[in-house]
Amino acid sequence: MVPVIKISNLDKYFGRLHVLKDIRLDVMPREVVCLIGRSGSGKSTLLRCINFLEEPSHGSIEVDGIKVEGGEKGKLHRQLVHDVRLKTGMVFQEFNLFPHMSVLENVIEGPVIVKGMDRQKAVELAQQNLDNVGLLFKKDEYPNRLSGGQKQRVAIARALTMEPKVMLFDEPTSALDPELIGEVLNVMKKLAYEGMTMIVVTHEMGFAREVADRVLVMADGELIEDSKPADLFGSPKDPRTKALIERYRSGEQ
Amino acid sequence: MNIFSKKQDVPKSQAELIYQAQANKERHFRTNVGISWFILLFILVFTFSGQDLTIGSKTFSGIKIDTVFMANNLSFIAGGLAETIKISIMSIALAMMLALLAALGRLSTFPPIYALSTFYVSLIRGTPLYLQIFFFFLALPQLGIRLPGIIAGVLALGLNYGAYMSEIFRAALSSVGKGQREAAIAIGMTPAQTMRRIVLPQALRFAIPPTGNEFIAMTKDSALVSATGFVHELMWRSVKVGRAQFHTLEALIMAAIFYWGMTLILSYVQNRIEARLSKGDR
Repeated sequence: MVPVIKISNLDKYFGRLHVLKDIRLDVMPREVVCLIGRSGSGKSTLLRCINFLEEPSHGSIEVDGIKVEGGEKGKLHRQLVHDVRLKTGMVFQEFNLFPHMSVLENVIEGPVIVKGMDRQKAVELAQQNLDNVGLLFKKDEYPNRLSGGQKQRVAIARALTMEPKVMLFDEPTSALDPELIGEVLNVMKKLAYEGMTMIVVTHEMGFAREVADRVLVMADGELIEDSKPADLFGSPKDPRTKALIERYRSGEQ
Repeated sequence: MNIFSKKQDVPKSQAELIYQAQANKERHFRTNVGISWFILLFILVFTFSGQDLTIGSKTFSGIKIDTVFMANNLSFIAGGLAETIKISIMSIALAMMLALLAALGRLSTFPPIYALSTFYVSLIRGTPLYLQIFFFFLALPQLGIRLPGIIAGVLALGLNYGAYMSEIFRAALSSVGKGQREAAIAIGMTPAQTMRRIVLPQALRFAIPPTGNEFIAMTKDSALVSATGFVHELMWRSVKVGRAQFHTLEALIMAAIFYWGMTLILSYVQNRIEARLSKGDR
């Protein structure tokens, strides 16, 4: 099988700070990959490099057959980056719904404006996705009338309506009140079982253990571990991984 | 049994009581301010009423003004109102466009554009509005450029207010969070689409209340245009008839009433818009 995401020799510098060091990663179709690590380890930056919210300094990223070299400029590069963005859907920690648009308008904005999809068709697709996240009845509300959990579910529907090949989640539950985390994780679980390829930056170890096919651990800009969840949580190899997991364990109690 | 009145049957919570006390205090304050305003207004009107008022052993006399003159010239001076409003609306429209362009220029990373924007703002803010108005009316004709009075006035006011308002629009644009741009980029929007569909609508909503304030200020600054003699708005007309019949006091009082009334109406509209916008933003 061909990987849907292929990251080769990726480096990222912020000024003189070397935040991603020679990252190599293949993600297969339908795989769910959780990315964990302490804050500042580079996991969010890595995720944001995949859809070029951060421009990689060196190395290449290939998404569904479109290969983009980092650190380049020019019209062709911009076109490739645009194509990659159409193949990836992103969900942010802070939801980032558009506050001046209703829920439905938020969800059809991308398909109609970016893809030029027929409005009626976009509405149908949007309603289907809103129904999937259980929020069709909120379609005419404005985002400021929704709870955090509902906002994040709308954000997921918005990303899905672009019909991406891969979904990227950047700490999707970190800004939520504890009692609202479950509803978002449930939507993500459902998405995983439906076969969506997902990369999830998260602190939710329970989710990683239950849903992920692989768990990657980042530390100091490097991928230090790439294991099945059972192996990782059972017998972590790297001492930094061990410390990380113990910290979460003590936090859970 | 019925020693409690019906109202006291439901005991009020502490929070409710505190809220009520605060609301009472607020209402009390507003009433007193209202009364004081009324007294001040009475004193002002009395001052120009020509009437005598005796309080105890003291008698105060108001200044006598010629009401016949005022009645005779009411329609002439009021005729300037339309011109004043016309100049103000056209100028604010021009000012908003320039302010938006200047604000976008300020956020540009392309040096010539950034420079053009800051240069414009600096030049306009560094010279008097009065000078700028005379530049368009009197200096341009020397170069063979003769603009109709109203166009010259609108250009001067629009350019001037555009420079000052660019700060409002800059703040409005930066009020739209980085996350909004990122969300738009992530669904594949181009920078132009992001600006037009996501950033501008939110920024404009932010900019509406302060722009309203500028508009109110502009209706009054438009009086400066009268100094050139080419635009027959409120101020020009009142000075004209006042001088001709040696009744400038009456003429200016009339113009002042028109300006003040206009300002009050616009402020009211402004408050309503602001209240509505803040409701939607909650």
